[in-house]
Order: sequence, then C-alpha cells, then structure tokens
Amino acid sequence: MEVTAYKTDMEFFVDMQRCIGCKACEMACAECETNGHQSMIHVNYVERAVSIQTTVQVCMHCDDPVCARVCPADAISKDDFGVVHSANTARCIGCSNCVMACPFGVPIKEEKYDMMMKCNMCYDRTSAGKKPMCATVCPSQALFYGTREEISRMRPNSTPVNTFIFGQQTVTTKVNIMMPKGSTHLKVH
Amino acid sequence: MHTSLNKKALLVALVVTLACVVISFYGSRKLQNFDPALIAYLFGTLFALFGGIYRYCVWLQRPPTWMYFRRTWQFVFSGSFFVHLYYLAADSVKNLLFQRFIYPRGKKRWIAHFLLATGCMAAFAITIPLTLGWINFTLDPATALDPGTTRLYYANFFGFQVMSFKLGSVMAFLIFHALTWCSWLVIAGAVFFMVRRMTNAGLIATQTFEGDLLPLILLIIISVTGLGLNYSYAFMKGMAYDFMAVTHAISVILFLVWIPFGKFFHIIQRPAQIGAHIYKKEGMKRGMAVCPHTGQAFATQLHVDDLKTVTQQLGFDFTLENGSSHLDFSPEGKRSLLAKAHLQARQEGGNLFG
Amino acid sequence: MARLPASPEKIIHEFGPHLNYAPQEGYPGRDEPDKSVKTHCCFCGMQCGIQLLVKNNKVVGFEPWMEFPFNQGRLCPKGVQRYLQDNHPDRLLGPLERAEGVGFKPVSWEHAMDRTVSEIRRIQQTYGNDAFSVLSGVSLTNEKSYLMGKFARVALKTANLDYNGRLCMVSAGAGNKKAFGLDRTSNNYEDLEHAEVIIVAGANVSETFPTLTHWIWRARDNGARLIVIDPRVIPLARTADIHLPVKPGTDSALYGAMLKYLADHDMLDHDFINNHTTNFQETLDAVKDYTLEWAESVTGIEKEKIQQAAELWGKAKTSFLLHARGIEHHSKGVENVLGCINLVLATGRIGKPYCGYGTITGQGNGQGGREHGHKCDQLPGNRDITNPAHRQYIADVWGIPEPELPGKGLTAYELIEAIHRGEVKGLLSICFNPLVSLPNNNYVREALEKLEFYVCIDFFLNETARHADVVLAGSLHEEEDGTVTTAEGRVVRIRRAVTPPGNARPDTDIILELAERLGAGDKFRYADTEAIFNELRVASKGGTADYYGITYKKIEDNMGVFWPCPSEDHPGTPRLWEDRKFATPDGKAHFNPVKYRDPGEVTDDEYPVVLTTGRVVSQYLSGTQTRRIGKLVGLIPEPLVEIHPVLAAQYGIRQRELVRVTTRRGSGEFPANIVETIRKDTVFIPYHWPGKKSANQLTPGTLDPVSKIPEFKVCACKLEPLGKISAPGEAHAFDSI
Repeated sequence: MEVTAYKTDMEFFVDMQRCIGCKACEMACAECETNGHQSMIHVNYVERAVSIQTTVQVCMHCDDPVCARVCPADAISKDDFGVVHSANTARCIGCSNCVMACPFGVPIKEEKYDMMMKCNMCYDRTSAGKKPMCATVCPSQALFYGTREEISRMRPNSTPVNTFIFGQQTVTTKVNIMMPKGSTHLKVH
Repeated sequence: MHTSLNKKALLVALVVTLACVVISFYGSRKLQNFDPALIAYLFGTLFALFGGIYRYCVWLQRPPTWMYFRRTWQFVFSGSFFVHLYYLAADSVKNLLFQRFIYPRGKKRWIAHFLLATGCMAAFAITIPLTLGWINFTLDPATALDPGTTRLYYANFFGFQVMSFKLGSVMAFLIFHALTWCSWLVIAGAVFFMVRRMTNAGLIATQTFEGDLLPLILLIIISVTGLGLNYSYAFMKGMAYDFMAVTHAISVILFLVWIPFGKFFHIIQRPAQIGAHIYKKEGMKRGMAVCPHTGQAFATQLHVDDLKTVTQQLGFDFTLENGSSHLDFSPEGKRSLLAKAHLQARQEGGNLFG
Repeated sequence: MARLPASPEKIIHEFGPHLNYAPQEGYPGRDEPDKSVKTHCCFCGMQCGIQLLVKNNKVVGFEPWMEFPFNQGRLCPKGVQRYLQDNHPDRLLGPLERAEGVGFKPVSWEHAMDRTVSEIRRIQQTYGNDAFSVLSGVSLTNEKSYLMGKFARVALKTANLDYNGRLCMVSAGAGNKKAFGLDRTSNNYEDLEHAEVIIVAGANVSETFPTLTHWIWRARDNGARLIVIDPRVIPLARTADIHLPVKPGTDSALYGAMLKYLADHDMLDHDFINNHTTNFQETLDAVKDYTLEWAESVTGIEKEKIQQAAELWGKAKTSFLLHARGIEHHSKGVENVLGCINLVLATGRIGKPYCGYGTITGQGNGQGGREHGHKCDQLPGNRDITNPAHRQYIADVWGIPEPELPGKGLTAYELIEAIHRGEVKGLLSICFNPLVSLPNNNYVREALEKLEFYVCIDFFLNETARHADVVLAGSLHEEEDGTVTTAEGRVVRIRRAVTPPGNARPDTDIILELAERLGAGDKFRYADTEAIFNELRVASKGGTADYYGITYKKIEDNMGVFWPCPSEDHPGTPRLWEDRKFATPDGKAHFNPVKYRDPGEVTDDEYPVVLTTGRVVSQYLSGTQTRRIGKLVGLIPEPLVEIHPVLAAQYGIRQRELVRVTTRRGSGEFPANIVETIRKDTVFIPYHWPGKKSANQLTPGTLDPVSKIPEFKVCACKLEPLGKISAPGEAHAFDSI
C-alpha cells in the first residue's frame, strides 16, 4: 500500500443499461489477487420473469462510506485515494452490518469465512497503474475505467453522475454512473 | 472520536488498572513473591491493561458496537440463561480457542494461525501472572537440604500452594520450558504468515508495514530472543545473553504498549464475533425481513430495525417518502432499484446510449 | 463400434466431465510467470486477443491483451475461464484403446498407431477407399484444417471428409458465394462504429459473441439505430430501437416483405443496382405479393414494426447487417441469407466505409477452417473440388496426379446417414462431438454403434469419443503454433504457450505420423507449422481466399492481416468490394430471388408448439471444453426450457416445473423458465448438454438442399408438465448420460 502507482486521473464509470449479463466481470473479478478467487462484483437480473434486464454493481466507494461507519469492528477503511477497502480479515466479526446498510447492496458476507468481503477496485491492479479486471474485460463497457476526458469523448451525450438520493439521504461516491447529458443526480426511489 | 480524551473510558481504564495493582499487591503477598527483575515488564503490562481497557471502552461507545454489545448481553440474560451460556461457551471454544472460522479461508492459514494464537495466549497466561506476581514457584525446604532426595517444587497462586512437582519429572520439564514451547509455536505461525505476506500478490498490494508486517516481526523477535535466553545458557555458555535480554525486554514492552492501538487489538475484539452469532440466532427466532423487491427473506427483522437506529445515530437517514426505508430492501433489491431508476432516467433522457 | 465398452458412469468417473476450479488463491506462480504468451481465445470466431501466463510449462492464469485491436483486453466469461482447460484432471495423457467391460486402457503410441493404420487398410481394402471417412472441425488452426484436408485426400484417398462447419455457417458461405462469389464478412467490425442503422438477424450477439457488443454499442453511442430480429428478447434486443420477434422458420418472408417495401417506396440505390448487380428484377418479382399484411400473417410480427424497420433501413446512409446461426440453421438457411443480402444490395450500402454486411462466424476458426479444404466439396483457397482447373492446381501443389485426387464426398450429416446405411464403415474424427452437436442424436448414436472402426483424436474424452476403438491424445489450442482467421477475415497468430502433458502429442504430429504409416510420408514432410502455412499460402494462391501474401512475420508485426492478400507487399483487405469488382464470374453482385416456403416441420394438433434452440453465454458448442470448467458450469448449470407465461398457463406449467418436451425424434425433460421475453407460440432450449439433457434429441435432421445445414432452429413439439419442481442444480446436466 505504501509504494503505489495509482493513477488519480483514472475513474470508474458504470452504465448498467449497457450490461448484457454475460458475467465476464464476475469471472474476471475472481482473478483479482486481492480476493482469492472469490468474485466481489454483482450481476443480477432485475426482474427476470418480465425482462432480460441485468444490472451490474461494483463498489461505489462512497465519500462517507456507510459500510465503514456501521462496522462495529472498525474493519473497513478508506484510503487517501478514496478507495474503500474490503474488511480487515483480523478485525471483521462477520456481523453483516455493512451488507445490510450499504445503499448499493455491495458488500458480501462470505458465510463460510464468517467474514465480509467487498470490491476494492482491484487494488492490486489499480495501485500498479492498471485497470480493474472487471472494467478491463467488460465486453459491453458497462464498466469503464479511464479518464474523464476519454469518457466524454466516447459518450458525448452522457454525463457522469456521482450523487445518489435514497429518500432523505444523499450519497456521493468516487465511482460514477453515466446518465443523460446534464443530469446531476440519480433519485433511486 | 480518538482525538480527544474520552472521560468515560479513562475512568473505567483507571479503575480497572488500579484494581489490578491492588490485586497484584496482595496476590504477591505484599510484593514478597514479586520478581524485581520483571519490573519493566510490570509497567508494560499495566500500560497494556490501561490502554486496552481505554480503547475497548472508546470502541464500545460507537453506536454499532454498543448496539451489538447491548443486544448480546440482553439476549444472554433473557430466556433460558443456561442454554445461552452453553452456546456462548461452545462457540467460544470453537471460534476463540480454535479459530475455526479461519479453516475455510485456507487449511494452512488455519494451522499457522492456530499455532500463533495458541503460542501467544499460552504465553500470556504464563507471563502475565508471573509478572504481576500472582504465581510463583517455591522449593520444598526439606528436599532442598537433603541431597539424597529429588527436589520438590511447589507452584503457588496468589500465594496459595496449588500443586507440586519433582525436579526432573515430566511435569517439571513441561512447566519450566512452557515458554519455549510457546515460542516455537509462535515462530512457526509467524514465519508462515511472513512468507505468505511476502509472496501473495493480493496481500502485497493491500498490506501496510506497521499494520501487518511489523506485528509479525515483533512476534518473531520476541520468540527468538526468548528462546535465545533459554538456549544461551543451555547450549551456548551464556553467549550474547545480555544483548538478547535487552532486545527481548524492549520488544515485549513495545508489543505490550502497542496492543491497544495496532493489529493485536483484534485479540481483544474477537469475542464480539460470538455476540454477532447470538444476535443472528436470536434475531432469526424473532422473524425474518422480506425484501419488497425480491419477495425473499434476506436478514433478520431485528437487524434491519437496529440498523435503521444505528444509521440515524451516525447521521444517515434512509427514510423514504412513504415512511418506509431504503434499508428495508435486500442487497439484490437495492441493486435492482438502482438499475430501474437508472433505466427510467435514461428513457426519460431519450436515449439509452451515447 | 458397438455400444459403449463400459457403463457411462464408469467412463465418466475416469474421464469426466469433471469440473475444474482454480485453487483457492489461484495457481502458484501466477504473480511471477515464466512468460506471458500473446495468443487468442479458443472459443468463438471473435478470436479475442489474450495473454496466457505460463509457469513451469503450465498455464496458470491470463492477463488481458490491451493492444489487440478487436477486443483491446475485453473478454467474455468463456475467455476469462479458458485457461482452466489446461491443468485439467480429465486431460488425456496418452493413447487409449477400447477395452470391453473396462472402458479404455492406456496403450503405447506404437500400438495405437499400428492398430489404427491396419484397421484403415482393412476397411479400405475390403469396402473401398471411401468407406473410411473423416470428420473434422473448425476449432482447428488453418494449418491443421489444411492438413486434415490434404491427409484425407492424399494419405487416406477418401472423398468422405467433412467438418463441423457444416452445422455452423455453411448456409452463409453458400449464400455469399452465390451473391458475391466469395465467402467472407465484407467489412471488419470497426465499420460498425459509424453505421447509422444496424440489423442483427438471428444472432444472439451478447451471449454468443459478447465482445462484439462493444462495437455495436459504440455505434449506438454515435447515434446508430439498432434493429434486432429474434424470436426472443435477447439482451441486445432489450434496448434495441426495433425488435422484430419473428416466428422461427419465417425469416425469409420478413426480408421479402422488407425488400418489396424498399422497392415500392423507392428506397433503392439504382446506380448501384444497375451498374454492379444482376438479377434484380427477377428478385423483385419473387416478392411482388409480399405485402406487410402478408408478412405479419406469416412471421407473426406486427406490420407497423416491419414497416418501421424497412423505413429505417431504407433511409439510412450507412448501415451494417449482421446475421448468424439464427437464420442459417434452417432447411432454408441459404434462402434466408440471400434474403438479407438482397436488402444490402438493394440499398447499395456495401464496399464503403461504415457500410457492411456479414455473417458472424461461430467457431474459433470458423472462417479460416472453411477455406482451406477440409470440406467435402472444397480444396484450399476456397477452391471447388469439382472444378478441373482447381483440381489440377492443388494436385500440382500436392505432387499427385490429378485423377488420384478424390472427388466430392458426403456432407457431415449425410455421412452419418451413410454410416447408418452401412456404406461407410470407418471414421476418424478430430475436434467434433457429433453426439451432442448433431440433430436427432439418438440416430447419430445408432450410427456410431454400426462403425467397424472409429478412431478419435481429442484432448478430452468427449461424449462421441466414448464410442471410439482408439483414442489418440492430441493437443489443446495453447499447445501448438499456428494461425486462425477471425470472423472479420483477419488472420491472426496462435502461439504455443506450453507443450502437451504426459504422452499427449500435438495434433499435427499425430496426423503426420499417420500419413507416414499410410505410405504418404513423402507428401507430409514439414519442419514446423510455419512450413505447413507456407504450403497453404501457395495452395491458396489465386483462389478466392488468397493467403499468399500473408506470412507469420507479417501477422505478428500487424496483429493480424485480412485476406485476400495476394502478394507479400499487399497490406491485406479489411473492407471488401471497395472497387466494386465482385468475385463472381461476371464481376457483379448477384441478387437471388427468394420465394417463401415453410420450414421442414410445421406445428399441427399433435405437436402444436414451435421449438427453437440456441446457446448460452457460458458454454461453447458441444461443451467438450466448457462443461469441464467449474465456474462456467456454475453460471448456467443446466438447460431450461423458456416458455411465455401465456403458453405456460395453457398447460398449467409452473416456474421451474419439469416439462417433458417431445418431438417426432425423441423427448427430454427440462425445468421451465417462465418469461415474457419469448414469443407466445415458441419455446427455447439451449443445446450444449449431452444425454438426457440434450436439446438435440429433439431437433430434426432436415437439411438445407444447398448447404446441407441441419434445421436446428425450428421444429414442432408438444409440452407436458410433470408436476415436479426441479431445484436449481438438482439435475447434473454437465455430465448427463
């Protein structure tokens, strides 16, 4: 963590309408060295009986991460780059507070390990200046990792948004979601 | 939270530390059984106790921690107490003594951690009472003077004789070398983890020196110098004894002082896992929460309700316009809601792409 | 040869399929590999670039290859998991021989080769040369495909050689040859980027060619309109501008009506039609009655939607039409393809930037493998085996008298029928698992049981190989050098990452030794695979698929070269027809009249529901490789029958209830997946699974009269709910017997 080539101009951009549900990201996530062949990304059908729509969810890396705040064991930390790390294995007591409190439904309770695990934006790769596995392989580029300049060139009619409204609560995140041009936030309910 | 002094925690820590001093004063029969060579260790231990209790109290005051702490004891003391007590004991043996939860993470990891933890805990169990003068060994005066008999030793706890054993017996061998065994266990475990931390690319990326490597290095230094002190006399004619004694003392004291702040705090924290188990078990008895989106049970209703309280205590408010909460939805439900909201926004924007 | 030598359970116990998973923390050495080898994924015609990480002669992981222009690191789940076919417990490590009651016992190469050659000799001496047949496959490299063709004609001297491309894209190949005189996608996929309208017909791109999605989405970012033609709302169709849920088997009616609409509303490129095409008027005459109303009644698509689609297509300035097996796996496969081509030619949008057309080839080397002569009617360079000049050229390259070159043989399915009839007695198969992939597979099984001698070259003991007398342990994709040609027509380099384990041998070595032992050794002396490629270059020279100017070095320097490439200083041809000189004898593109006719089997009172089949994203074809990779099996563990809720309600079928699906060929039981994303009159079953879970127990062997492709995509079935809810994963589908 101390020696790092993390590129601060690179950001994560998600657009779940591009998702084709292929789960390449899920397979690739498990190839990330930090999570020991466990996949941390979520791909699920939204409502399979009526639609083929799938959604893909990486950790949004909140500016004020609810998961870390509700952790009774101080196991989750956010680093200087804004990456919210997976639970510290020594501390995590497997209580699932983070799993239930995360507004994006991201952390996973690994029952067999009695421990929470989550996406850390492929820290082994991003800290070495590489792109996360999921965004590298994503064949539809529902997951894109690159600079703001690149994304605005490629998708001129969309705006990256990182403000989400869940009822009374506004959450801001490091990861962006691509929205129609001019959008400022996504109201979830 | 950690920046300013926490008065409640300070008070509790002071009281407990003072109590320990008093107990030790009388337990060592007014310092009669106290080994002055261990004075530095004594202060280290007392500081560790003070710091550990302080940190623990600060920690408990965090809303999520307090919620678990409160609920755990509430459940233990409600309903059939002995059933709970049995569960508590059984779960503690399984997960604290044997750290069973590590086994699925890796068999070798579990073995290594078990060796490390057992070595550490056994060493604590021996050295702390020794340092505080709670236990001591005395030679039976009768056998001491009679060259024809084997010498007999008594082990005393708080000055009360609890057992005796003969010099040269198996028991004597085990007791006098107990710390040697502990050291070997710790070394075996710590070396495994050192190797793992130096070769596993995932760990290399996420670990820190002071958080992950230094604790292992410290444990290895303590164990190696501890062994050295022993073997220096046995096999090396006292060579480098002083150097090792000083290094040992410094590393042990560093270790003790650091317990409340660094990686080793997890030893004190770990029993909370038992609480989380009880919380879940009792919560299930009280009923599950069903996700309005998926229609599936996903967590205990108790957990969902408590989290609403805890998040509000922490300054988050996920209450929705209709009075329900975003927290009523399962993780899958939340992800689907986000995707649906996004689809709607995209459709209203007129184009799904671009 | 006869029935299985031992119980299938016993054979599976020993040879799998077993599921391979990476160790909990990955294979050791993954972080510090000895080398990382730039090669391509072995699954599907996209041939995505990928780097395999190698430690101690084992593939231990992968790393995306960011520079390869088509996929720039992007992969699908199969690509991500492909490395797990290496280090697999089921891997065959040496030759095997059938042993009654035991299954298969290891034998020496000497014995296996001896036995094989003596059986080939016996059969050919007793019944004639053509009584010994070869079934090959297009997951093989260009070199191996070429070699198999030459081996069959020169060493075995048999006419009966065909390949599994017969179940893949032959309808497209035949259609393209009729219309353009050449069989290749006309553009590389970068031309999708600024196409105004894209039609995707019968191609479940997001599941079968996931990495192509990127290029279609890029186009949509640039404002392209997408029209998807498919009986199901496939992932691509969900967000499409127009989805035309065509009734299976009626595609050509739709294209006919669209063509009539274009003509009626004068949305035609008259200049192009007049100057560069023939046959337009006859083609138009054929569809003169195909009104939108008529098309609605045949295809089941609302006429307004057809009109919208025709309007969009007609008015576009740039466009790209893509199709795949969905329109090709029909007894009218060639007609469907020609129907699409007519739409392209009518608007003249071909041979220009962002104006494209093409089939999306399915198999790894579906493009290159169908060009270099391991097809019953074809010689290298996509030459015609019945054309005397073509025959003479290849006979000269091979150093044999032209009369010795066998003539046209039977196609794959016809070959099975010939085995059934007792006309063909021996079989050598490589890279083909017909027991899962051919239609009406109970019939295929009976045929296999009639063979006097069957030798199979494979790296796993696939379902068909269980019937073999001798199994020769061959090589995986990553164990031999070579080239393949992607669906775009780009020739790329496959690099050897590791050598075959144990006593397994490279496929090429096996074929060369067999040739040697059959007495044709002097025609099969190559220093390495590059030498084979260099002979292929010469053999293809002057053919339509001309590789002469392509060298290994040139491929490596340019990350691929598009054929035709007739000379070494030629840069290759990413976009065809820019010069408007088509490869037909008259140099023009040909319209072909397409009259609508019914599919081979239509629904009736007894079999009232349409059954169609297809693929899922996590499996590749017959699953020999992908049903052995644990996580891929985990993604979609079993075939479900997709049913519309209205149809399900008619039969009282509940979600995940087992449903018996019966056709005139057989029946199978599948859990129901009740979804609104399919037509109300159609059910869908994916086909990758064997035994009782095989969709191909149900499909018919009706063949297209021209391409001889079987009609996998439409037949009549009946449904019967069995009253039992089947829990996910309850049925052990990956190794079903």
